[in-house]
Amino acid sequence: MGEFFQALLQHGFLRHALLAGLLVSVSSGIVGTYVVTRRITYLAGGIAHCVLGGMGFARYMQVVHGWTYLTPMVGALLAALLAAFIIGWVNMKAKERVDTVISAFWGMGMAIGILFIAKTPGYGEDLMAYLFGNILLVTRGDLLAIAGLDLFIAATALLFHKQFVAVCFDEEFARLRGVNTQLFYFLMLALTALTVVLMVSIVGIVMVIVMLTLPAAIAGRFCLRMGTMMALAAGICALLTFGGLAISYGPDLPAGATIIVLAGVSYLISLLFNKR
Amino acid sequence: MNQPIHIENLDFAYGPVPVLENASLTLGEREFVSIVGPNGGGKTTLLKIILGLLEAQSGAVSVFGEHPLVGRKWIGYLPQYADLDSKFPVSALDVVLMGRLGKTRRLGFYTRSDHDAAREILARVGLEKLEKRPLASLSGGQRQRVLIARALVSEPKLLLLDEPTSSLDDYVERELYDLLRELNKELTIVVVSHDIAYVSRFVEKVICVNRAVHTHPVSEIDENIIHEMYGEHVHAVRHDQEHGHG
Repeated sequence: MGEFFQALLQHGFLRHALLAGLLVSVSSGIVGTYVVTRRITYLAGGIAHCVLGGMGFARYMQVVHGWTYLTPMVGALLAALLAAFIIGWVNMKAKERVDTVISAFWGMGMAIGILFIAKTPGYGEDLMAYLFGNILLVTRGDLLAIAGLDLFIAATALLFHKQFVAVCFDEEFARLRGVNTQLFYFLMLALTALTVVLMVSIVGIVMVIVMLTLPAAIAGRFCLRMGTMMALAAGICALLTFGGLAISYGPDLPAGATIIVLAGVSYLISLLFNKR
Repeated sequence: MNQPIHIENLDFAYGPVPVLENASLTLGEREFVSIVGPNGGGKTTLLKIILGLLEAQSGAVSVFGEHPLVGRKWIGYLPQYADLDSKFPVSALDVVLMGRLGKTRRLGFYTRSDHDAAREILARVGLEKLEKRPLASLSGGQRQRVLIARALVSEPKLLLLDEPTSSLDDYVERELYDLLRELNKELTIVVVSHDIAYVSRFVEKVICVNRAVHTHPVSEIDENIIHEMYGEHVHAVRHDQEHGHG
């Protein structure tokens, strides 16, 4: 642990990694609470895996066709928002077999990504970074982007807190009281998509869903209201990121995977406590 | 023509399956009625049409003289509790505040006057000391009171309750009806119930829904009507029993 703090002072990349983790925790706490209470974990998982399609496509266009502005991050953002919109729309219209539809998008998103990456010359190692994340490669520009999206998510959540809570708790009642529930449902999915993209750079596509839901699930065992649940979830997420980074540094373990194992173990331990 | 509910010759079908046929129904101010009928008979569909959640294929529906999408703002609605997540992280006050949506400002948190209104209504249903308690920690009867408070805090003119007593024991159920009778001095109340025997002790009129819709004063209902509508398995109406408070 002491070694980690020393390294933190020495290495900029480690400070960036930590800062990125702390920033993402804010969004994770807010959006994770929606995802857990509204029970759309599987939907969020579908969105996360569609992101690979966008990242693979963007990388391919960058390398093969020289579209330099289409970075994998931008591709991820577009894919996540598109997936959120399509899956949300299907979820709203088709009342049955929604899980099957999500599975279809889940698999297709991954497959499209893999196809593009396979056809991108010399970038096979990208795949590993996309799937499992590489928090130590976070740049100053990434930090700015993360901070900006964070601000947007937090502001939206604050401004419309009462509508989001009502839509999560009892959508039909909210609609009867004149809330545009479809709009808020899509807004919630869009925020989920943005948060997923932020987290992909840290823990990778495969593990995003854990980082999104487990801090909120742990917080939910001890919190009695949505607001406090969000705050505690953000705190837990920050703590897990910090702890995971610190533990992984000495023995040179993959940071993302360490964070996830820590999150999983913490969740299992929280189950041992009596709820509330 | 500003009756709380006025329905004329309404037809509704889910695809080829007719649910309501040629249904007509009028509800006057400050009436206390019950909608009864077998499961699958169309009670919930009728409710959703009144609330503007479903649109009938033909016929006219008005709520306080307006289209349901407009008129529903005067309806306080209590859904079936089973449809809600009992572990959801909200306090009793949080739930009641949701009833202020549509009346309060759009952006930001609920205002002080929203909180005042919510507390006042909680006191009215006898839960002023429990406002900070999580919903999950309340008893079945207390939860129903919280949801009734949520319906009341929007200052409705019509209270619509879907199976409010299905999860309650007899004593709590009686208390709830006492509360409703008190509220009935100011508002029209419609209670959906599968237990015609029980509700007919409290209400003035019973609206029987089983594809067709018929309205009967409680005193008029006898076994023949019930058997004709619902078959032999339904209990007789206990309108001959005393109407006193519990």
